[in-house]
Amino acid sequence: MNTWKEQMEAGEVLLKTENLSRSFSTGGTMQHVLKNIDLKLYRGEFTVIMGASGAGKSTLLYALSGMDTPTLGTITFAGETISGLRPDRLAVFRRRHCGFVFQQIYLLDEMSVMDNVLVAGLLVNQDRKALIRRAEELFEAVDIPEETRRKFPAQISGGEAQRVGIVRALINSPEILFADEPTGALNSKTGLDVLDTLTAFHRQGQSVVMVTHDMRSARRADRILYLKDGTVTGECILGRYVHGDQERHEKLSAFLREMGW
Amino acid sequence: MKKSILIARSNFRKAKGQTVAVVALLFVASLMMNLWLMLSTDYRRNFERAHDRLNAEHVTLAVTGNDSALRKFLAETLERDERTVQYCMDDCLEMVGSFDWNGGEVNTEFVILRKETASDRAVGRIEIAEDGGAESGMYFPMLYGTDKNIRPGEKMELIFGSRTVRFPVCGFLNSVMTGSHNCGMSAILMTEDVYGEFRKTGIAPEGTLVSVRIRDREESREFEADLKNAVSQRYPGARMQSNSYSMVRSSRYISQMICSGIVSAMAFFVALIALAVIVSSVVNYIQENMPAIGVLKAAGYQNRQIMSVLLLQFLSITLATAAAGVLCSYALFPAVNDMMISQTGIPYEIRFLPLPFVVTLLCMGGAVASAVWFPARKIRKIEPVTALRGGIKTHSFRKNHVPLKTTRLPLVPALGLKTTFCVVRQNIIVCITMLVLSLVVVFSGLMVENMIVDMEPFIHLIVGETADSCINISAGIEETFLAEMKKEERVEKIYLFHTTEVRHVGGYALMVNISDDFSDLNDQEICVSGRYPQYDNEVAVGAKYAREEGLNIGDEITLTADGRQESYLISGFTQMSNNLGRDGLLTRSGYERMGVLENAGYYLNLTEGTDVDVFQQDVSDTYGADINAVINIRSVVAGSSSVYISLMTMIVIAVLVLSIFIITFVLYLLVKTMLGSRKREYGILKALGFTTGQLILKTAASFMPAIVLSTVVGLCVGAVVINPLTALFLRGIGIVKCTFTVPAGFTVMAGAGLILAAFLMACLLSLKIRKITPKVMLTGE
Repeated sequence: MNTWKEQMEAGEVLLKTENLSRSFSTGGTMQHVLKNIDLKLYRGEFTVIMGASGAGKSTLLYALSGMDTPTLGTITFAGETISGLRPDRLAVFRRRHCGFVFQQIYLLDEMSVMDNVLVAGLLVNQDRKALIRRAEELFEAVDIPEETRRKFPAQISGGEAQRVGIVRALINSPEILFADEPTGALNSKTGLDVLDTLTAFHRQGQSVVMVTHDMRSARRADRILYLKDGTVTGECILGRYVHGDQERHEKLSAFLREMGW
Repeated sequence: MKKSILIARSNFRKAKGQTVAVVALLFVASLMMNLWLMLSTDYRRNFERAHDRLNAEHVTLAVTGNDSALRKFLAETLERDERTVQYCMDDCLEMVGSFDWNGGEVNTEFVILRKETASDRAVGRIEIAEDGGAESGMYFPMLYGTDKNIRPGEKMELIFGSRTVRFPVCGFLNSVMTGSHNCGMSAILMTEDVYGEFRKTGIAPEGTLVSVRIRDREESREFEADLKNAVSQRYPGARMQSNSYSMVRSSRYISQMICSGIVSAMAFFVALIALAVIVSSVVNYIQENMPAIGVLKAAGYQNRQIMSVLLLQFLSITLATAAAGVLCSYALFPAVNDMMISQTGIPYEIRFLPLPFVVTLLCMGGAVASAVWFPARKIRKIEPVTALRGGIKTHSFRKNHVPLKTTRLPLVPALGLKTTFCVVRQNIIVCITMLVLSLVVVFSGLMVENMIVDMEPFIHLIVGETADSCINISAGIEETFLAEMKKEERVEKIYLFHTTEVRHVGGYALMVNISDDFSDLNDQEICVSGRYPQYDNEVAVGAKYAREEGLNIGDEITLTADGRQESYLISGFTQMSNNLGRDGLLTRSGYERMGVLENAGYYLNLTEGTDVDVFQQDVSDTYGADINAVINIRSVVAGSSSVYISLMTMIVIAVLVLSIFIITFVLYLLVKTMLGSRKREYGILKALGFTTGQLILKTAASFMPAIVLSTVVGLCVGAVVINPLTALFLRGIGIVKCTFTVPAGFTVMAGAGLILAAFLMACLLSLKIRKITPKVMLTGE
């Protein structure tokens, strides 16, 4: 396992945080959700962030992805500090470097499936033909047939919708894909399909950061970070996912038990 | 009920911005509605009140001569007529004269009475409205006191033909029927000494002023015509000036009519926008509060109760706002009253009027109740479980508008256009608003172009023929005068345009303008259909009069003057508002079939740079007593029109300010609704990397198709219908066809300005997007 860790650490640091803190004011009192988090995420890595409800998982994800700004500390993406950027610069950062997959999927109801993907793509790529080709390839990859692409989100199943969400997240070939509980709103079978899709893209070199409290999802990760009361309390290196790897499962179970899961 | 109030209060708190917008629109609509009702009901009745209070006459006749035979004839004629209720005859001096007023000149028939006589008259009493306390001098109609240049204690100049007199002004009088040039005659009261002095000058012939009250005031025009006919048959050469209750009532309230018409139109449009906003608010409320409605239904609330909450919510603010708007209209009314008095010349005492108040409240309440109740009926169809789950998503799956795969539009405008198709209701409100505002722009442009900047078109419409000078001479010197004037360097053109009265047998008295050749006229648009009379058996009559009497071009009518009757063919229809549409045109030879012109009015165009007053003085000096009247037409027009110009300027400014106010509020409400109801969409787009600027542009762009389309349509339709609308509006004063120039440049620029202003306003109001982070919107924090 150390080999895997060394291999990762020898690679490029894609995201790095130093003393990352995020506090919210609620009812006149400050609530410190993230406390002095130092973190490095590597290019090509599949990182899962786990923790109990209220541990700060989603807050960390939003801060890392530039959707929220930290109260203190710095976030560096590929050597560029993003934590001090103005909202519009952060928006440009997100569109160029990040892809997002949400638990609630968040497709735009009034747009067709294809338009939901193109709306993100056209922000970055003005070559409409190339973009459509890329979208069609991705749709093929996630098994979304031609007729479904013309439908509206309300006309397709949850699993299909989440796969469309993944296509939208990947349309701009982001350097990093953020997924917030992507299987949370899906049933067991469709959840598994979505995980397979994410894993497949990861295998092609896609960096992924996923928040989950589902052990089955976490098993797909190269590395697991455990968050408790706003701090990273543990790390578990699992290495590249292999289907049916029992030892991996036991290691993860032991880690989570140790973390008080 | 208590629970309903609590829920309504909670709804108010949640939708403060929307409440403010609805309140503002209803406030303006109520204010204007009450103003309109006050102007069109009580303000109009003020004339009748003043008429009753002063026991004023229904028909006034000033006739030259005051001998006992004439008096006896007049008394017998009046007493013989069953319609006569009461009458009164007094000595007077009568003459056409002029004086400076309001930056111009007023030319009117003066009826001069002794002060003591006037206040004691049994019929047609004239009261002193303002007395400066001087013992010797004259009292002038109070209308002219609005021009602060005529003040008690100061001497005033009156010009009668070639002669000028100066007397001190003692104060101002109030006369319902002879209180302004709009009445056809203006009374002047003189103290005994001044009256005697003026009488001695011999400028004005002595006459008799007859004031008659009749049984049915609606027959005043017929009575006036019959009386004049009787006098002219017995005394063919008698000079007469008259008016009737109907004519004076209409002519003294032209400004009031214009003002109340515009205010009513604006009140209607603002109310319409307010109602559209309310309907939209109710529909949005139901959509946004679906789970809350579900909770209420689950808790046992009936549909009726939930709908009552909405009704209570909107009705309470409507009634409170309408009451405030009505009260505020009273604060505004003194300014409107001042403006109106300068045209009506009759004082109006402002007081609380319960009827307009109640009507305004009922109309607003009723309209708002309907606007709430009909869309709120949707609540009945929602099952509690469905509501608790956030309602049924109703998307139109028929079409993916503006598909990004094929559209050639850039991304942001394409998204804006997509949203346009999804917010049809909001865009209908935008369309209504912009259509109204476009019409307002066209109207403002029309008024600016044809009235405020250049008064000429308005004068042509209202007055008809104008020139630089009008000189009325005795018929005996006509040839010499014409020959001299044609040689005169300062005269560019001279032509006969003499106004006199004839009577249509079986109809009414008509003021006809006589000319040798109507192609000489400066205004070739007096004849609005058919053609000008060319032969001695042709007449053109007022279009309004023709419509009232069912006359057509080609019909034969009988006219009478100087006791003779002749038949004429109608060759065309005219429009002039001088006699409220009861007018006509005759050739000189045509008129002379009935009577002889004892004097002739000539219109003169003077060469550029000629001082009209100097020229007229020279003519007066040359011809002396043979000049009956000299009128500086430009100056008279300037004096009379300044009231209309200031009124119209105020109206144009008011409607433009109101338009900006309306567009701001409507867009504010719509943008706010859009940001609220599409928060999730904005969150997703922000998360995907859209900048605030892009989303602001997208929001503004989503309104632009409706804004651009409705503005263009509004301007085009406005340009087409504004003239017929104006004519419709002014039909009461004899206008049947309006040919104002629609200023294309101004309209296009104003339209572009309107679109740009709306776009900038939408952008400005969308700035709120800046404050919202994607995370906040996505997590709903």
